[in-house]
Amino acid sequence: MAFKSDANRWGVGARTLHWLMALLIIGAGIVGLYMSDLPNSPQKIRIYALHKSVGLTVLALLLLRFVWRLADRRPDEVPMPAWQAMGARVVHLLLYALMLLLPLSGWLYNSASGYPLQWFGLFNLPSLTGGADPALKGVAHEFHEYGFWLLVVALVAHAGAALKHHIVDRDDTLVRMLPLLRRRAAVPTSVEPAPVAAAPAAAATSAEPVKENPIP
Amino acid sequence: MKPLALIALLAVAGSAQAKDWTVDPSSTLNFAGTYQGEKFGGKFTKFTAKIALDKADLANAKLDVDIDVTSAATGNADYDGELKGSAFFDYAKFPKAHFVSTAVKESGGALIADGTLQIRDKTRPVQLKLDFKPAGAGATLDVQATLKRLDFDVGTGDWADTSLISGDITVTSHLVLK
Repeated sequence: MAFKSDANRWGVGARTLHWLMALLIIGAGIVGLYMSDLPNSPQKIRIYALHKSVGLTVLALLLLRFVWRLADRRPDEVPMPAWQAMGARVVHLLLYALMLLLPLSGWLYNSASGYPLQWFGLFNLPSLTGGADPALKGVAHEFHEYGFWLLVVALVAHAGAALKHHIVDRDDTLVRMLPLLRRRAAVPTSVEPAPVAAAPAAAATSAEPVKENPIP
Repeated sequence: MKPLALIALLAVAGSAQAKDWTVDPSSTLNFAGTYQGEKFGGKFTKFTAKIALDKADLANAKLDVDIDVTSAATGNADYDGELKGSAFFDYAKFPKAHFVSTAVKESGGALIADGTLQIRDKTRPVQLKLDFKPAGAGATLDVQATLKRLDFDVGTGDWADTSLISGDITVTSHLVLK
């Protein structure tokens, strides 16, 4: 288990950050959708506190991820049409931007509402506004909400593209980010065509012939 | 006989006037506690206090305070909305709180007022720490007390969780006396 990524596979560091953040983001999103219509009660406050704590965790992990990305390499690009590579880059950038801006806008909304901000009840974080700010509160909330729906779109595009690579293109894009599955040795991840002899088993068991990538 | 009675009456009136203070509108009555690990505070903007206080005559000292609890303001509309409800002050049923002293005494150089406080339909004995400072013709009186909010049913039901809202609420008052 290599901690760092290599030419063909994301390392344990990148994979752990990717999936841990995926779980936390999806969890925060579901809790966020559920919580806002609850009548005010200590239970609602606890659910909000959980949402905020998870959001802050995502923010902290994102900073760690930026640092890790500087220290780690990226695996080589899976061969794909230029427009797809460009699309992937745009969606990745959007995801990074939203992973930063959603927790920050939530923090701003919380501060502008004049509420305390605790991380899992352990310590408090400072207000970004130094007290309630009713005008900013509305703006921050809109940003948080529209940002969330943009994140949903970006996540659907990201996960949809990964599944398309896996199911239609049958390449390594998804597998090399998964924690357990082994690489599909049959399909080249580098620009050179893989020798067919390298994967006789895959070729034999697969009902469909292994597709060559359209762009070599 | 008649002039003597008049003198006696004036003397009584005079001594009463010396310790019956008029509370200036600039006086404040605040409360504070902890919510989610952070201090919150508020004030009662409407209250009246009858203060009779003279360090030389503590036996006749009296503090009688009427508080319009519906004037509570925390600066946060959400908190204020909750205070109004039945789990907290229940403005509709219990718009007033009342403190009256039973004894004022000196203890270790500081003044202490024992008395009873009624909030909602709960009446409990409380003790106030007083800091009385005569200044010229007037005086200032700083009052401090720590109340257990649950003794008075303030924040009941699920809100009774003191890890969310502290059980101890500090009440402070700065009275400008004339």
